[in-house]
Amino acid sequence: MENTQDIRDLKNTLSYLHSELNRLETMAGTLSTVERQHYYKLTNFDQRDLMDIAVEEQNAARQLGTMKTMCLAMAEKIEAMKNALDGGNMQESAPRAETH
Amino acid sequence: MLKLIENFVRSIVNETVDKAVSRMVKDQYIENIFEMIPVANKVGVTNLMELAMRANMGMPVPRPLGSPLHFSPWQQILFNPVHLFRFPTPENVAIQTAVTIGPNARKPLTISIPIMIAGMSFGGALSKNSKLALAKAATAVGTATNSGEAGLMEEEREEAQLFIGQYNRGGWMNTPDKYKRLDAIEIQLGQGAQGSAPQRTTSKNIGEDYREVYGLQEGEDAMIHSRLSGVNRKEEFIQLVRKLKDETGVPVGLKIAATHHLEQELQIAIEAEVDFVTLDGAEGGTHGGAPTLQDDVGLPTMFAITRATEFFTRKRVIREISLIATGGLVTPGQMLKAIALGADAVYIGTAAVMALASEQMVKTLPFEAPTSLLVYTGKATDQLNVEEAAKNLVRYLNACVREMELVAITLGKTALSDVSKSDLCTLDPFLAKATGIELGYVASDRQERFFADTEALFPRTVEPKQLRYVPEQPESAQPQVH
Repeated sequence: MENTQDIRDLKNTLSYLHSELNRLETMAGTLSTVERQHYYKLTNFDQRDLMDIAVEEQNAARQLGTMKTMCLAMAEKIEAMKNALDGGNMQESAPRAETH
Repeated sequence: MLKLIENFVRSIVNETVDKAVSRMVKDQYIENIFEMIPVANKVGVTNLMELAMRANMGMPVPRPLGSPLHFSPWQQILFNPVHLFRFPTPENVAIQTAVTIGPNARKPLTISIPIMIAGMSFGGALSKNSKLALAKAATAVGTATNSGEAGLMEEEREEAQLFIGQYNRGGWMNTPDKYKRLDAIEIQLGQGAQGSAPQRTTSKNIGEDYREVYGLQEGEDAMIHSRLSGVNRKEEFIQLVRKLKDETGVPVGLKIAATHHLEQELQIAIEAEVDFVTLDGAEGGTHGGAPTLQDDVGLPTMFAITRATEFFTRKRVIREISLIATGGLVTPGQMLKAIALGADAVYIGTAAVMALASEQMVKTLPFEAPTSLLVYTGKATDQLNVEEAAKNLVRYLNACVREMELVAITLGKTALSDVSKSDLCTLDPFLAKATGIELGYVASDRQERFFADTEALFPRTVEPKQLRYVPEQPESAQPQVH
């Protein structure tokens, strides 16, 4: 009985993580777009310091794009874990621990 | 007054040139200074100077930055832009640039751009300032830097958000206290510019900071052996890969010099279940290596990529094992072509250090080479402004990726990793035959017919030697057509 409760808690936690990762993915995507717009605006000025900030914005946009990719990969992993739990197949899920 | 000086200088130059030309015309050829021109043309200027250096030193001359020969015919490949047949990508669509190295590892390594900083060791190659500038720049753009064949430098580890360390033939990174602090482990068995040859840094070129990172005693040389300690059979390599994967969970890969034995080497890498393979083509750079190892050993980067991709596809591991290409990749076009041919990411070495030095070259020119700002034994390493150097590299990387994104847009792609062989054409029939890239001379639907019609030029049954592609050389060689 206690074991069933634990599994239910774990499933709830995984669902929570899954939805939060989806949220993070959306936020990263939105922020990436904003950063990219800043890059285009800043490159209108022919000024070295502003160009450097523009480059930083561009890098930030790409890294937010990377976060989006990582969130998607982690969400997929969690989905697989949830499915494995539903099928009572938790042992066989891949052992990936974290992403960088 | 100025006019007077100008006239004076002109008359001296005129007199000197007249005398020199007259002398060259009248002197016997064998005693003539003009003899240097045909000699230099025959031998090559670089070869002539290196010949003199060998004669002076009696030892292999440590040429910096790799071979000056361009083995990979990147200029023979072009991207295919689209307009109506497929539409270009709208400019407001962000081009995805992220790449995951070792997707099956417990802790995959995701980088924001497909360009990483190649393994260039502290001490053996670069100064501490250069290494820190590389790490800072890599972190700023969200990519990884590589230790090279060295120990773990604390400052570099701290600066680098993503740090790939080489499990190396010197043994300096090969203990758990070091390799467990890495974000990916690259087992280094060779490099493009040196093959698997041994290398030695004499103790006179080793300072205290170097000894500290490498764990060397005073007076002890730093020795890179031709074999990795404890790996004398393929089973031992397989065991090593499994041990490192089990202990760390990070991607564990193999780095080798590209070679014509590529498929046999890769087969063992597949059996070992490596997470990535780094192929360093014959154009690869180095801090200083024997010219013969640089010019006459290895396989060009381009063919290493195409052959490895084909082999991984055939073995059905193309999605499991990431392919990292390196060696002579300088322009964004070359880097993206490497990706189109199958590389997941590329390393840059020479280009990265040149970008570090770029605006600061004036500190050494015209009396010293810019590398004296960067290499461990350089005379001007303390003059390198780390922050400025890192900024220059960040700007360079951003410019490179932006140019790659522009190409992706004109190809109608939304991710750099989506650029593939079908986005390329080649101007060389041998390349088309060898790599599967379509020949730009004829329409897509006429490729087979073209090769059928010209079968006499591209016979199916020929000696392997006759099929070998001879890349364009600056001096004499031309592609052989049989």
